[in-house]
Amino acid sequence: MKPIEFLIALATVGGLSLASCERAAEPAPEAPAPEAPATETSAPSEPEPEASVSPQSARVEAKEFAAEDDPSGGEWTQWGRDGSKNMASPATGISLDISGGDTGEGGEIEGAKGAKWVVKLGSQAYGTPTIYQGQVFVGTNNEEPRIEAVKGDYGIVMAFDEKTGGLNWQFSVPKLEAGKVSDWEYLGICSSILLDGKNGYVVSNRGEVICLDTYGMSDGNDGPFEDEAKYVVGGLEKLDQAEPVDKGDKGADIVWGYDIRSELGVFPHNITSSSAVLAGDKIFVTTSNGVDWSHINIPAPTAPSLIALDKETGALVGEEASGISENIMHCNWSSPAYAEINGVPTVIFGAGDGYTYGFHANEFDVEKDGDEEFYLMKELWKVNCCPDDYRFDEKGEPIKYATYPGPSEIISSPVVYNNKVYAVIGQDPEHGEGVGAVTCIDPSKGSGDDAIVWQFKELGRSISTPSIADGLLYIADYSGRLFCLDAETGEQYWEHDTLSHIWSSTLVVDGKVLLGNEDGELVVLKAGKEYEELATINYPAPIYSTCVVANGTLYVMTQTHLYAYGQP
Amino acid sequence: MRHHIRVGAVFLAMGVSAFAEEENPDKGNWVSWRGPLQTGESLESYKDYEFNSEPVWTDSIAGRGHPVIFNGRIYSWGYRGSGAELMEVLQAREEESGKVIWERETQEFMSDTAYSRYTIGAPTVDPATGNIFLGNTYGEVMCYNSDGETVWYHSLVERFGRLTFPNGRAGSLVIDGDIAIFRGVTAYWGADGPARDRFFGFDKNTGELLWSSTPGVGPPYLKDSSMSTPVLATVDGRRVFYAGTGCGNIVCVTVGDGTPLWRTQVSKGGVNASPVVHGENLICIHGAENIDTTETGRLFAIKIPQDLDVPLGEVEADQGGAPKLGPEVESWRYTFEQFNCSPLIHGDKVYQMDKTGLLICVDANSGKLLWESKLANEQLFASPVYADGKLYITTSPGDLIILDVTADEPKQVEKIKLEGNCYGSPTICNGRVYVHTSEKLYAFEIKNSGITWAMAPKVERPTPGAPAKLLPVPSDVLLTPGTSQEIKLRTLDAAGNHVGTVETATWATFIPPTAKVKAEMDASFEGNTISASAGAKESAGAWKATSGELSGILRGRVAGSLPYAQDFEGAAMPEEHPIDKVKFGHPPLSWIGARLKWEIREIGGSKVLAKTLDTVLFQRGLTFIGVPDSKNYTVQADVMTDGNRRIKSVVGLINQRYIIALVGNSNLLEVSSNHEHFNEAVPFPIAANEWYTLKTRVDVAEDGSGVIRAKAWKKGEPEPDAWTIEAKHSHAHAMGAPGVYGFSPQAQKSVFIDNLSVTQND
Repeated sequence: MKPIEFLIALATVGGLSLASCERAAEPAPEAPAPEAPATETSAPSEPEPEASVSPQSARVEAKEFAAEDDPSGGEWTQWGRDGSKNMASPATGISLDISGGDTGEGGEIEGAKGAKWVVKLGSQAYGTPTIYQGQVFVGTNNEEPRIEAVKGDYGIVMAFDEKTGGLNWQFSVPKLEAGKVSDWEYLGICSSILLDGKNGYVVSNRGEVICLDTYGMSDGNDGPFEDEAKYVVGGLEKLDQAEPVDKGDKGADIVWGYDIRSELGVFPHNITSSSAVLAGDKIFVTTSNGVDWSHINIPAPTAPSLIALDKETGALVGEEASGISENIMHCNWSSPAYAEINGVPTVIFGAGDGYTYGFHANEFDVEKDGDEEFYLMKELWKVNCCPDDYRFDEKGEPIKYATYPGPSEIISSPVVYNNKVYAVIGQDPEHGEGVGAVTCIDPSKGSGDDAIVWQFKELGRSISTPSIADGLLYIADYSGRLFCLDAETGEQYWEHDTLSHIWSSTLVVDGKVLLGNEDGELVVLKAGKEYEELATINYPAPIYSTCVVANGTLYVMTQTHLYAYGQP
Repeated sequence: MRHHIRVGAVFLAMGVSAFAEEENPDKGNWVSWRGPLQTGESLESYKDYEFNSEPVWTDSIAGRGHPVIFNGRIYSWGYRGSGAELMEVLQAREEESGKVIWERETQEFMSDTAYSRYTIGAPTVDPATGNIFLGNTYGEVMCYNSDGETVWYHSLVERFGRLTFPNGRAGSLVIDGDIAIFRGVTAYWGADGPARDRFFGFDKNTGELLWSSTPGVGPPYLKDSSMSTPVLATVDGRRVFYAGTGCGNIVCVTVGDGTPLWRTQVSKGGVNASPVVHGENLICIHGAENIDTTETGRLFAIKIPQDLDVPLGEVEADQGGAPKLGPEVESWRYTFEQFNCSPLIHGDKVYQMDKTGLLICVDANSGKLLWESKLANEQLFASPVYADGKLYITTSPGDLIILDVTADEPKQVEKIKLEGNCYGSPTICNGRVYVHTSEKLYAFEIKNSGITWAMAPKVERPTPGAPAKLLPVPSDVLLTPGTSQEIKLRTLDAAGNHVGTVETATWATFIPPTAKVKAEMDASFEGNTISASAGAKESAGAWKATSGELSGILRGRVAGSLPYAQDFEGAAMPEEHPIDKVKFGHPPLSWIGARLKWEIREIGGSKVLAKTLDTVLFQRGLTFIGVPDSKNYTVQADVMTDGNRRIKSVVGLINQRYIIALVGNSNLLEVSSNHEHFNEAVPFPIAANEWYTLKTRVDVAEDGSGVIRAKAWKKGEPEPDAWTIEAKHSHAHAMGAPGVYGFSPQAQKSVFIDNLSVTQND
């Protein structure tokens, strides 16, 4: 039995999941004082002289979930804020009298107006912050090493104290030896951490789904996984070959792990990039299955592009079998959404073949092969979001992928709003600019073009997730433009050109639309049918992740720093 | 402010001197992509300048590189066709009209080139001979004479283990004296077995390899292939070149013999832009993680070591490469991110674009920002070119922008939308501006009433000193049983300058004291002629030539000849696998790049070739076992993939530049050479852990078309009469080394090969 099989076997033993719940309810022991935000580039930071609150004490004050009229915005527990992936916050009174400051000689930020704290991340940061129970979690790389034994290129999850920005713990994921083809250097963790109870779920750069104890090691090493000191050497795959590494008391506590590559034969392309979505007792995760170096050949054409895991044990409980992987254009990087649509618990997946799929979140088809049983996701509907005239020319010949007029897959998340689904097509930014589309889907119409309510094709390729508020949809494209559309009809109200590439997504909050771009500008426009540019706030590094508001604080993450704006 | 400056040092700029048109060798020519000064600067200036925004001619051929001009001709490199018909084409054109005089096509093979990333580079003309040199991303390097006849040719992939990458970077050859320099990431054998970014110096007249050089280092630093073009200079009595490497170094190498002189580790990713020399500074840029900060990218100046006789640094024991210089060599730094687009220098000003389309002008002596101008929302590729007070900038979206930079702020003169995307720099010569886009080759006119050419500084060529060492030519020999080759011996001085020749030497087997594998080449010398007997074994090794006080090293291989048979039963199994705890051996050392990708293991009582799974870095093994000019042969072997319901692997054979493979996860018998352009397959159910026999041959007709035939059947069953697949190719590959292929996706399931044979067709 391989270690991972052993791990899952252990994890699925009855009682462990209950034990896990019980632990979550136990009073937490005292945690070590959080570390001060680091200011040096080459050495772990010194502890902050005046200890701040521990994550546990902060948790006491934290709210559970935000009511829709909560002026603080409440917690932000996953990529997209909730299962709908609609990044529109009910928060009010968010001050934008802020600035991004300048980078000092030591890499620290100086003069960031309105910031209660700023912390240095790595050199690249794509894992948009999530905030829950007194902690802020981000995904970045290890170019700001904070653990002596962990130097070099790693994917890093950092858990900060919500009030002080002090580091509580970090999760360090070694790189795959495959190189760029499956784990591009220095991209770090591209996943936002899904937070649920005591657990945090992250999709690692190694193609793993890891359930972390958000308490870190402050309450000891909770099982069933207890090989954290070996994990840092070669991930789940090489536990049996690894010598333990002492990471000190700032290391992460792994609850369970699932290795997508070795279990399912998935071939991640460039990076495993997705964030898990919670659906009842399961989490759904994109596998990042894709092409190889040739950018044509698909090494794992029958491997699933989407999987479901038991949130307590990590056991595989469902897999996509709709044939998506056979038709991958490049990769599957879209994080799924979850919602009850017209009363049906649905996982919505923007796929690497340019289609958006609806799968039943709880019902699976069972296929037997000898003694093995395979639980296949039940496809509810499937809609082509890449217009046919992007796929085929006038003669009916396929248009080449990665050309300006050619077809695209879905990279951003589908958004659910008023029982409609909104999906956007795009490509790896390395492929440059090209034609794009936003598609509004009515899942009640089933599969096919009849389910398309409207399709907007005036924007370019986009890797941004739309935001919808008050019947208006805001969507940015990679070329740098921001569009305001009528969510019901697709009618365009206005367009704003930021003159810079856009990787991040919009946040609608407090009557404003916030959007970061590659030039390091945070662009603020008035939310509404009338176009009004309110402000451009400059930052000393590109902004590739999305602004987040939680518990009255605005978080802006550049490639190198996380800013928390609000009252201390 | 996104950027900050570090302390600068001041040096005088190298300038151009007074006009002397009659004797100016650069007048009317632009023979390499960086121009006559290797800086991106034109020597031309124009009386009564007026730019005509309408092209004087265009030609509808795609290209991503840079045309060069010599002696009234344009040499442009483009590509045309699609699918199996796609060809790269070097075209010699009349300079005035653009009319094609001759053209030579090449076709990729077994490459990972994706998304039409072709012709990313430029031809180079040697003014002394008029010959044209070209290297492509699939590892062919060629020399043509001015009539388009091939002077010499190498397939670096099949001969020296050049690796393939999806990015299509080809770059340019550089000519210095009688040496033509090209580069690539290679995995060959012995000390050159591990993948490194290497440079190769060829005799420009014969194509014989003079040296290969490994100034850089390996993983974890080696992350990219690089096409940073070597920049030539004379320092301390020797010709050297500077270049960036895929392992994040700026390196300095002796032109004459490839000796690595120094390196400085600047980034944790590749350096793809070319450096420029400015006085005693070398100005460079990269776009990866800095080695010493948490910032990404920097434009920076290195103070060039001027005394090469003193120790410049240590060779790191675990990394090798050149002696390593410390961070103190940096004169100034400006944080700026750019991977491809190289710095342009005119006078004391450096012009540089970053990836976001921001153009900056900085003081070349201090790195101080003089001005900046946002021109586009990205600039990922082309470098600007300077001529007579103006910058000519081609942008990725397809704009040609002309800026007047004579004042304190730049002023836009023209912005012309071109068809297609533009990835290559403009060429400026004789009052014309040439731009290649993904759709067309454009020729624009600079109207004028007279052109003058500034005189470039004369190149100082060192006077050779006393002979100090021997250089066997070629320095690497490939024999098959029953063949021989004469080796010539040049003498070099201590600085690598070529002095003369010697006629006689003694030859002895040489095993480097540091060699991990104590290997010898199964051959012998008579005089200066090396021969492999008819019964010579597949082998590889080195020889030391000694003549008086002088000595030099020759490396060589003996590859199998046809008919070839290998059942691996004779392999020694000296090692125990640290994880699997089984004995294993190694494939023949003469197989290119095989040692880290394949093992000999015992399966079911038989020794077989097995794909290693030790590291996912080597999940794919594409290994040549024979000579590159092989043709008209049949390859057969027993093949098997490990696996289960979810995961299987790919196992196959290489025949004349085609990969013929059983694709486990797809249940296909597939013929491919580049998946995007030549790929045909038929369904073929493949059971894991079951042996099949795979047989393949390639038949090429006189008209250049061909058929790639393959059949597969369960081992032990009768061979079927019919071929399982017969893939037709209108431009069939006419030759290529035989080999073996294994691809274990994510290093999960191994593949096995046994009873391998290669036989000449009737």
